[in-house]
Amino acid sequence: MNIENHGACARRIEADLTDSSSRPIVSFPAGGLADPATWGASKAEDATADSSKLSTSEMQLKDGSRVAVVGGGPAGSLFSYFLLRTLSMSGVHVTLDIFEPRLFTHSGPSGCNHCGGVVSESLVQILAMEGINLPAEVVQRGIDSYQMHMDVGQVQISTPLMEKRIAAVYRGNGPRNAPPRMGAGFDRHLLDMAVMVGANWRHQLVSGVEKSGDGWRIGCAGGEGGTYDLLVVASGINSALLPILDEAVIGYRPPTSLRTFIAEFHMGKSVIEANLGSSMHVFLLDIPGLQFAALIPKGEYVSLCMLGDRIDDRMIETFLGSPEVRECFPKGHVPQNVCHCLASINVGPAQRPYGDRFVFIGDSAVARLYKDGIGSAYRTAKAAAATCSLQGISASAFRAGYQPTCRSLTRDNAIGRFIFAVCHLIQKLRFSRRGVLRMVEKEQSIPGKHPRMSSILWDVFTGSAPYTSVLLRTLHPAFLVSLLWNLFVANLPGAASTSREVHPT
Amino acid sequence: MENTQGKGGKVSADEGGFHFRPYRPERSDKLPPCRAMCPSGTPVRDWIAEIAQGPHDPAGREGSYKKAWRLLVASNPFPATMGRICPHPCEAECNREDLEGAVAISALERYLGDRAIAEGWSLPIDEDIRYPESIGVIGAGPAGLSFAYQMRRRGYPVTVYERHPKAGGMLRFGVPDFRLPPAVLDAELKRIFDSGITLVAPVRVGVEISVLELQSLHRVLFLGFGAQAGRHLGIPGEAGDQVWTGVDFLELANSGAVPALGDQVVVIGGGNTAIDAARVARRNGAAVTLVYRRCREDMPAIPEEVDAAREEGVETLFLATPIELIRSDTGTLTGVRLQRLQVTGTDSGGRSEVRPGAGEIRTILASSLISAVSQESDWVGLEGLTKQRDEFIAGELKPADELICCSGGDLTGLDLASHAIGQGRASAEAVHARLRQLVETQGPTTAEPKVQADHYPGAGRLSLPSTPVAERLSDTAREESTTISEKEFLQEISRCLSCGLCNGCDLCWMYCGGNGFTRLESPRPGQYFAFSTDECSGCGKCIELCPTGYISEAR
Repeated sequence: MNIENHGACARRIEADLTDSSSRPIVSFPAGGLADPATWGASKAEDATADSSKLSTSEMQLKDGSRVAVVGGGPAGSLFSYFLLRTLSMSGVHVTLDIFEPRLFTHSGPSGCNHCGGVVSESLVQILAMEGINLPAEVVQRGIDSYQMHMDVGQVQISTPLMEKRIAAVYRGNGPRNAPPRMGAGFDRHLLDMAVMVGANWRHQLVSGVEKSGDGWRIGCAGGEGGTYDLLVVASGINSALLPILDEAVIGYRPPTSLRTFIAEFHMGKSVIEANLGSSMHVFLLDIPGLQFAALIPKGEYVSLCMLGDRIDDRMIETFLGSPEVRECFPKGHVPQNVCHCLASINVGPAQRPYGDRFVFIGDSAVARLYKDGIGSAYRTAKAAAATCSLQGISASAFRAGYQPTCRSLTRDNAIGRFIFAVCHLIQKLRFSRRGVLRMVEKEQSIPGKHPRMSSILWDVFTGSAPYTSVLLRTLHPAFLVSLLWNLFVANLPGAASTSREVHPT
Repeated sequence: MENTQGKGGKVSADEGGFHFRPYRPERSDKLPPCRAMCPSGTPVRDWIAEIAQGPHDPAGREGSYKKAWRLLVASNPFPATMGRICPHPCEAECNREDLEGAVAISALERYLGDRAIAEGWSLPIDEDIRYPESIGVIGAGPAGLSFAYQMRRRGYPVTVYERHPKAGGMLRFGVPDFRLPPAVLDAELKRIFDSGITLVAPVRVGVEISVLELQSLHRVLFLGFGAQAGRHLGIPGEAGDQVWTGVDFLELANSGAVPALGDQVVVIGGGNTAIDAARVARRNGAAVTLVYRRCREDMPAIPEEVDAAREEGVETLFLATPIELIRSDTGTLTGVRLQRLQVTGTDSGGRSEVRPGAGEIRTILASSLISAVSQESDWVGLEGLTKQRDEFIAGELKPADELICCSGGDLTGLDLASHAIGQGRASAEAVHARLRQLVETQGPTTAEPKVQADHYPGAGRLSLPSTPVAERLSDTAREESTTISEKEFLQEISRCLSCGLCNGCDLCWMYCGGNGFTRLESPRPGQYFAFSTDECSGCGKCIELCPTGYISEAR
């Protein structure tokens, strides 16, 4: 994975993922040592978990092999799509069953999949190159800027580059009680694609998995699910399945998670246009425990995403009661939300997300910190599918073909954690907020000026670039000089932000 | 908004602040449409659940059949009978209807009823006779026997008086054998009397034994003698040979004494008796024309039966009424003069209003005529009870008042046997409460479950086995349909959506972020999870995911 240019160079990512000889820049050589700090498994454990006594040919998918994909969200559907497509090219015919009890056609949380539904334009383009064209009713484009709100002022930042644009999707069929929409939501669209290339969608809930000889026996509510040669878990982390698998799958430990609050407000297109424009609104407010909060316009609705350490009704009410947030709503009045959920997101990787005949993908394995869960689902699904079809389904095959992708995400997240700590500091320190605000204002008001701060913030908030690349740019001397200068000027006595006049709301 | 103090930035709702409103789930058993629609109040969903959600291995299945049986016969002691003849209003609102067709409840009931007869299951009577109040029942039809059985179940000594030699009432005399074989009815009646009910028959109450005498013998008298007297047309030529009322004709036929009909039978009427009479006549080789004064869609008969009659070759003539029977000089019936009618509007009940069309009169050939226009009950000798009857009909007399209960076809209007069974049971509950001075308990919830039918995997409705028309007509005793196999039974039972009752789908448990649901160690149908809202974050996912509507938003 080319981490420096993840967003901008989709074609290169495609090549990296399909060609396992092209190693990511910051990964170990194939078959290298596991990183104990991130994976928590020693080399000795790896060796016992491997069935090294079996010949590699027995740990391959072949004609008649049976694959169970548990979960039909983006990770499960994309995995199935990639695997079946690649196998069919090499003439191998397997049975692939996706277990997904939900239809994604209901409005509200029951048809949805617990996320803010922001995808980067680069991901949309990558999917298009994979042959997955998202129809207009699935992807709601139109976010062309974001507006940063702080107590010291607010500023609007335009999209730095076209491919860094972001789009919004509904994972299910819109918020609670929303009128039925034409066409499918994002998740259903991907699931239908997988079915089109030959996956069987089994409308059943997996409630238990156990080892059975060389394979797996799947247990479903109200009946037997069958036995399979390969178990692919794409269950996300918002179900009770992972704690069950924790016991059934030796060595696997579920990811650590953080609770989010996602809510939808019905305001109508014109009101949203007048109050929020076509911007995603990001808030850097000094509320204890709040990591990140944003309002994202989506057609008739506005989505609120809050991430934090201990989100509860008190924090929600404090946030929505703050003047910076209320300014974004007509007459300063926040309407009652029509839909909400308190979903968990992955903030620390699972341990040993693969082994002989099993692999975990998507949120049940690893995800970008706070951001771009769908992008992570794509990357892990693609890497796992490539490994299964080309290298095999043994622990050693996954270690060689799949682990590098997980590891690059995990390493990048370590840097992301640092960047968010810095953001948090900015949120806490008033003088630093002033400095950042002034720097962005200058960048945005002077055409042709290199928007260093703007692009860094954009990438942090939208997840358009790996955190490593963000960090490298913050270390650029020109950025540091500029930041120090702005910190100094913005905090001179008598200096005041001009932003409220520049961007009246 | 409770706590506005403290935290800076927080404002009250009045000032435009935001108040977080969580969704609070509650779990409650709700009234499924099958039960709501069943005139005898059978807990259809619950007995199906015992099997559908019971053990899947054949070894454990027998136990679930017995549990289902207990639930079923607690409200309807005639499952094999009703599974055959009831027009199953329970299926009309079934939530499967919009998917692949309603669950074939009547076929399921019939299977379990037949199995019980074949294996000799008895009615579960938990109470010995433990109360002193003697119960007398006049009429051994569905209403009277339902009442008698419900009182016996509760521990009362019961005696039933019947004017015919055999019990059964309209089930025996009003339903032709090809719909209900006498062996099936006999087996179910025997089971009821075997539970410890005394039958006195034949005895004509009011003639051979007086009401006063019965009142001295019994603390409670239940009048359940139905409407077995057919009404006459009252037109010229009606008196004479070859004319029967529908009930008389069916009674003759069911007693094995079908009269000679000739080759052209005209049946007047549009109810079930008319259809049954027409179908019996057809089986005896006659050409049959059914004459009804209104239109096809106005017929009170069960639509499937009308279809079956037409399949069997019964001709129908709508918007016509007989005005005269034509007889030869020797008095032999030769034809019926009919007045053409025309629709003038719709009455309050939604049926067509008709009046004679000017001058349109025609004559059709007839060797026999069966008039099945209405029925009433025979009150000869019972005049002393007409006051109570009239009060009952006027709604002034409740079943438990005076401890003389009224029910049966005449009193509450001609209706389904299922309705009579339900009335018998409701009366028994009221009488029992009155005698034992029980406080009326809260009835079952009437909240309708919000079922999400598209959460269920698709499963096509069983195609019900019916006997070919040629075989039906060549063998008058041949049943018009057959009982489904055990395999079909289990397959059809698995189609039940379990509306309003937990079916253990695991969705709430799987997706709850607050660990609100804990699996029970020994689950049973309808009960799979313990539930706690301690860590509930109020996301409402369980409410929206619950396919059966068992979990709903707390009010």
